[in-house]
Amino acid sequence: MSRFLFPKWSNLLLPTIIAAALTIPLYAVFFVAYGLSPKTLEVGYQPKQPVPFSHALHAGELGMDCRYCHTSVEKAAHASVPPTQTCMNCHTQIRPQSPKLEPVRESYETGLPVEWTRIHKLPDFAYFDHSAHVNRGIGCVSCHGRIDTMEVVYQKSPLSMGWCLECHRNPEINLRPTSEITNLGFDSATDLTAEDREALKKKYHISPSEDCSTCHR
Amino acid sequence: MIPLPPRWMIFTGILAACALAIPPVVIARVRATPDENRAVHIFFDMDFQPKFKSQAENPLFADGRAQRYAVEGTVAQGETMLDSHLYEGAVNGKWAETLPEGMSMTPEFLARGQQRYNIYCSVCHGYAGWGDGTVNKRAMELMSNSEGPVQGTSWVQAKSLHDPVVREHQLGMLYNIATNGIRNMAGYGAQIDLEDRWAIAAYVKALQLSQDASLQDVPPELRANLQTNSKQGEVK
Repeated sequence: MSRFLFPKWSNLLLPTIIAAALTIPLYAVFFVAYGLSPKTLEVGYQPKQPVPFSHALHAGELGMDCRYCHTSVEKAAHASVPPTQTCMNCHTQIRPQSPKLEPVRESYETGLPVEWTRIHKLPDFAYFDHSAHVNRGIGCVSCHGRIDTMEVVYQKSPLSMGWCLECHRNPEINLRPTSEITNLGFDSATDLTAEDREALKKKYHISPSEDCSTCHR
Repeated sequence: MIPLPPRWMIFTGILAACALAIPPVVIARVRATPDENRAVHIFFDMDFQPKFKSQAENPLFADGRAQRYAVEGTVAQGETMLDSHLYEGAVNGKWAETLPEGMSMTPEFLARGQQRYNIYCSVCHGYAGWGDGTVNKRAMELMSNSEGPVQGTSWVQAKSLHDPVVREHQLGMLYNIATNGIRNMAGYGAQIDLEDRWAIAAYVKALQLSQDASLQDVPPELRANLQTNSKQGEVK
């Protein structure tokens, strides 16, 4: 019986294995960082809502202020989804027979809520406060994007901790006068100078905390 | 020349390398396209805790609301609403002409009223109060459709706040209308805070004055600055 001899090409195995050992971990890191990032998993969530409500029409074309419906945003941590009555302020008279409004009419008659699907969700251990932000120069658009151009709302920002901290460490670029809070077309980066933003930072006493307990309790 | 491994091995190697390129392409696609379904939750940590957040669902109750209404027939402390001036805008059965106690007609108060008016009222009544808000405009378009009003629309032109009748409304009455509505207008008591409704009423008064002013109302030294392009096209 002849002895087994490795063929000559097997000399290539060692460099190949070394190359693989170097690239595969890199690949895995890339896969996790890029693929499992909230920018991949969370951004772009655009669920189908029970009523095809168009923000593009109401907030965009009609120019309704965000606060007409989301009334609690300046006073509370939670920016409230409006009650059915708010829809019916107008829709008892405007297109009251529209089939799209069927769930709203049903809710109006039964008193049961319209079951909207929540899009922006933080983990239960993170405590975000809308009022703390909108009353001190952070506009809706900074986190939610151009809602006034969205037919169907989707999640614009990753809402990850890294993303929060990015702004907490460098808030200037997102500051705007409180009068422009709901003006989604206003862009702090281009409509204000660096001095303006610095002045706003002073005026609103902005020194965002990076302590754990700021958001986690 | 280095001897090469068998063909099938080279072929498999190239195939495996190509397969490695698939996940990044898939990820890039996921990033670029909206998705109707929420992403699979990979790390649960304590993301979902057994508690109820604002406006959350609680299947324990028939209406599914976690937030409960006050029990029927009960009154919360400080909510007896007995002060008819403050809550109804009426004093001794007549519409109040003044602000309730604790509020004063300051520039800040009026500025607040303007801001709130622009949020809640201007959509129908227009920024200057002429009844030409964007919602009103759209509703009127739906009414004047050639095949009849669209989907049962039955809109009545929003009232101009400079209508002679509306000009006569007292402060308290304006507050009451903002709170409880009138004719086709819904009440905004639930949407706008109490003090803000008073501020809006005060601002509406100011708005009415501004659109019904005569030259004598303007300080003499400022009269030269007046432009004659007001809504009515002339200064009285």
